Amino acid sequence: MNYDVVIIGSGITGASIARELSKYKLRIAVLDKASELPAGASRANSSMIHGGFDDKPGTVKAKFCVPGNKMWHKLKDELDVHLDECGSYVCAFSDEETKHLGKLLEQGKTNGAPGVEIISGDELRRKEPNVSPDIVAALWSPEAGIINNFEAVNAMIESARINGADLYLETLVTDLLLDGNQDIRGVATNKGEFLAPVVINAGGVHSGEIASWAGDYSFRIIPTKGEYFLLDRTTRGFIHSFLFSCPSKAGKGITVLQTAEGNLMSGPTATEQEDPEDRATTPEGLAEVLKGARRLVPNFPVNLNITTFAGVRANTESGDFEIRALAKPRGFVNAAGIKSPGFTSAPAIAEYIAGLIKEELADRITLTPNDKFIPERRNIPRFLYMDMDSRKALAEKDPAYAQIVCRCETVTEGQVLEAIRRGARTITAVKMMTRAGTGRCQGGFCCPRVAEILSRELGIPLDEITRHGGESKLLVGKTKEFLLKKEGAANE
Amino acid sequence: MSKKIDVLIIGAGPAGVAAGIGARREGAENVVVLERDWDLGGILQQCIHPGFGLRTFKEELTGPEYMHRFIKQAHDEGVEFRTNTMVFEIDKATNTVWTMNKERGIEALNPGAIVLTMGCRERPLGAIRIPGTRPSGIYTAGTAQRFVNMEGYMPGKRAVILGSGDIGLIMARRMIWEGAEVEGVYEVMSWPGGLRRNIAQCLDDYGIPFHLKTTVTRIHGQDRLEGVTVAQVDDHMTPIKGTERYVECDTLLLAIGLIPENELSRMAGIDIHPVTGGPVVNDLLQTTNPAVFAAGNVVIVYDLVDNVSDEGLIAGASAAKFAAGKLSGSARRIPVKGGENVRLYSPQYVTGETDATIFMRVTHPIEGACRVFAEPGLYSQRLRYARPGEMNEVKIKAEQIRNLPDLQEIVIDIQPV
Amino acid sequence: MSEERKFICVSCPLGCGLTVTLDDAGEVLKVEGNTCARGESYARSEVKDPRRVFASTVRVKGGKLPVCPIRSKTPAPKGKLSEIARAVAELEVNAPVKIGQVLIHNVCGSDVDIVASRDLAAV
Repeated sequence: MNYDVVIIGSGITGASIARELSKYKLRIAVLDKASELPAGASRANSSMIHGGFDDKPGTVKAKFCVPGNKMWHKLKDELDVHLDECGSYVCAFSDEETKHLGKLLEQGKTNGAPGVEIISGDELRRKEPNVSPDIVAALWSPEAGIINNFEAVNAMIESARINGADLYLETLVTDLLLDGNQDIRGVATNKGEFLAPVVINAGGVHSGEIASWAGDYSFRIIPTKGEYFLLDRTTRGFIHSFLFSCPSKAGKGITVLQTAEGNLMSGPTATEQEDPEDRATTPEGLAEVLKGARRLVPNFPVNLNITTFAGVRANTESGDFEIRALAKPRGFVNAAGIKSPGFTSAPAIAEYIAGLIKEELADRITLTPNDKFIPERRNIPRFLYMDMDSRKALAEKDPAYAQIVCRCETVTEGQVLEAIRRGARTITAVKMMTRAGTGRCQGGFCCPRVAEILSRELGIPLDEITRHGGESKLLVGKTKEFLLKKEGAANE
Repeated sequence: MSKKIDVLIIGAGPAGVAAGIGARREGAENVVVLERDWDLGGILQQCIHPGFGLRTFKEELTGPEYMHRFIKQAHDEGVEFRTNTMVFEIDKATNTVWTMNKERGIEALNPGAIVLTMGCRERPLGAIRIPGTRPSGIYTAGTAQRFVNMEGYMPGKRAVILGSGDIGLIMARRMIWEGAEVEGVYEVMSWPGGLRRNIAQCLDDYGIPFHLKTTVTRIHGQDRLEGVTVAQVDDHMTPIKGTERYVECDTLLLAIGLIPENELSRMAGIDIHPVTGGPVVNDLLQTTNPAVFAAGNVVIVYDLVDNVSDEGLIAGASAAKFAAGKLSGSARRIPVKGGENVRLYSPQYVTGETDATIFMRVTHPIEGACRVFAEPGLYSQRLRYARPGEMNEVKIKAEQIRNLPDLQEIVIDIQPV
Repeated sequence: MSEERKFICVSCPLGCGLTVTLDDAGEVLKVEGNTCARGESYARSEVKDPRRVFASTVRVKGGKLPVCPIRSKTPAPKGKLSEIARAVAELEVNAPVKIGQVLIHNVCGSDVDIVASRDLAAV
């Protein structure tokens, strides 16, 4: 298949680049090995849109974080995604930590982060009554927000697709293809070759390995696991924003936040590991999170926990993003090592990469503006948040919106059908696109129902439906047939 | 304009169907039961094993058989059922019930009284925070039961069962009968969650090992479950180092408890009891919203469906009285208090308007002779034992309460003798 | 010489612990631990001819559900349960199915009938 650009990875970085490049007349292919989006670090993170005070001035991260933040405040309407513009606090427990807040304040000013200020512990507690009485001061960042990261990634890639980009899921890039000049010709995948003069490496935790295929050993990814607790939505209002601990060398420390959908959440740990795919939570990790959560919020209601999860972020030795076009092979672009504040920075990184292509790779592809670019993308209707008249109207138009599939999050069959129309093929895909299964029963009720709808709509047997692709089938066959087959095998 | 609904019942499981019967028998004209499924009967339709209704019908029926009899009665009594109809919101200011149905669309109903009979749901994996991966193959026992008994599909080939609630025990045998293996049942407590007879007839009959004070400490597998680590726990339920064992399995079934299903109850603005997880009710099964009644597992999780049906009848009758303006607004409200060995109980208030049955569970097994009683001198009954997995009852006559006009409080407890 | 056997009664939710004393010929001398007459008869049956109600599903063609619950009308010999399970697995019936409808007479020569335990309408 011939394209102008192949993007490896459809996390928030790859998806943002795809959308940005779809503003030009380009044939774009986005490849992701997962069966649904988001899959990697973009799925399991703190869903933070950072205020921009935390990054050392002069770093690549500092360059993209504040512009990215500004872009998200606009993108939320364009892409119709939930962004809770709640602000964030960095909490200091001692004079020494308060001193550190002063440094962060200065950094914020240098980085151009608007409105950042230091407030007293009491002022913080007036706004967030459940925080620790031991907090003496806090750094307030009004522009920080919390995004629904499931929605955001899907919205971004959907917008790219509306504007002509092609998304290939379950497509694992296995190698780079080079031409006679040892420049980029495309990529090899489990689904065949994708040819393009420009290949962008947005491979997240695998971006180091992919870069090494291009002979770029200038950075190394250190997969870093972050574990989290997610609590029931009945915790809404327990806190209203994003609470950081004072950062240390290990990372930004344990945070407590209210997700864009109103769940209380806490995490992450920062455990370096070899395996980029190890997303198992651990007793030690979860204990660390709980300890950190209780330090910030002493009555953290962990009894209302609905799930624990872990993400693996693409840390680098330098601690910074690795964004550049290689001189050799020409056509290879790294958008690699994107960790926090990667979600925030992604739209700004994407814009930068478009510029990079214009400046450095003009001989390979030409960026002609796509005058038909449609910036808007509408989300699947969210029944839960609609007023009664809109619900009635919707149900009248399409009776599938008068059937609840997920009780916890009030997701209707209409939403599930719409997700399938937009490409969902697995239980997790429907979950990412509609929130069915994200509530307090974690799919206990809706998983069989979603599976039935997938089976019916896609015309595949129920026992072929998977949770998240691969070997993750829900069922192992039909009763009776299962027994007879087993008995038959035993008699042979 | 359709005629006014006198009593609206939410959920057509055993409690709701009985409530419909109770309301009609009490004289309510227009009694409607809403059911979100296409079929009536609730969870009992998937409980295809025998063990239901011995007290009511003097024989052991399967779940569908039990419901068949009640549904027939309800039809005979003139109860109206609306299937495929889900309540998704209750407006507490007006007691407006918002329903949805593919044919009828979204509707607002304003009944004379509401009975909540939504039953309970299973505790999910997240509630116990087991570390590890999140592959497919992890189901609550009830979800697996639905797949096997209603959809005709096998959830897996080799199962580990965590928790010893009755559904888990029943599913162990069910999986065996369908040709799967069950490696064992693991219970974190030092006593079983389910009935002894289910351990005998579902586990012992098939040689399935039952491990007390043991739990799953880790989940393994990326796509499909590949195994679990199990470990013994100490008296504080902390896993004991060195006792970990890897168990290969492709299925983990959870039978770790049931929680009353009270999303709608909260919307209706009624008080939820922190221990039962169900509405605070009096012996008329009236909640703290006078127009709202509740019965069955939505109030407190019962062992026996007979009790659920009995309570449904009471709640339906009380709701009918309320809708007809016949329920005295000035009823007494005598609080029931649980003694030191009582973990939970319901109802929490007694009015003296009716004979009351108070259901309760002990905190821990009391093996050996004991006495269940209600003070002051209202009830006393000897027991051979008391176990958390088996509910106990206290019965108080309305007359007893009427004879004690100054009664301030009733204390129930079970003590060894 | 007599022999004692202990097991849990499964006749009702009480789950009494039964002790059955047998003589050398295997005849029941006494039953202890039961609360009621059902327990006594269960104990006697359990030592001589143990039986269980078998409950499962059968495949249904053209029904509202793909399977219909069934049960053995009366308790079936414990030793025959896996044979019965196979016989039930082989069966496929046509909708509609009526509750109580006999689906297999005298299943596996056990003198026990397999009956449907719910109504299942045709689609």
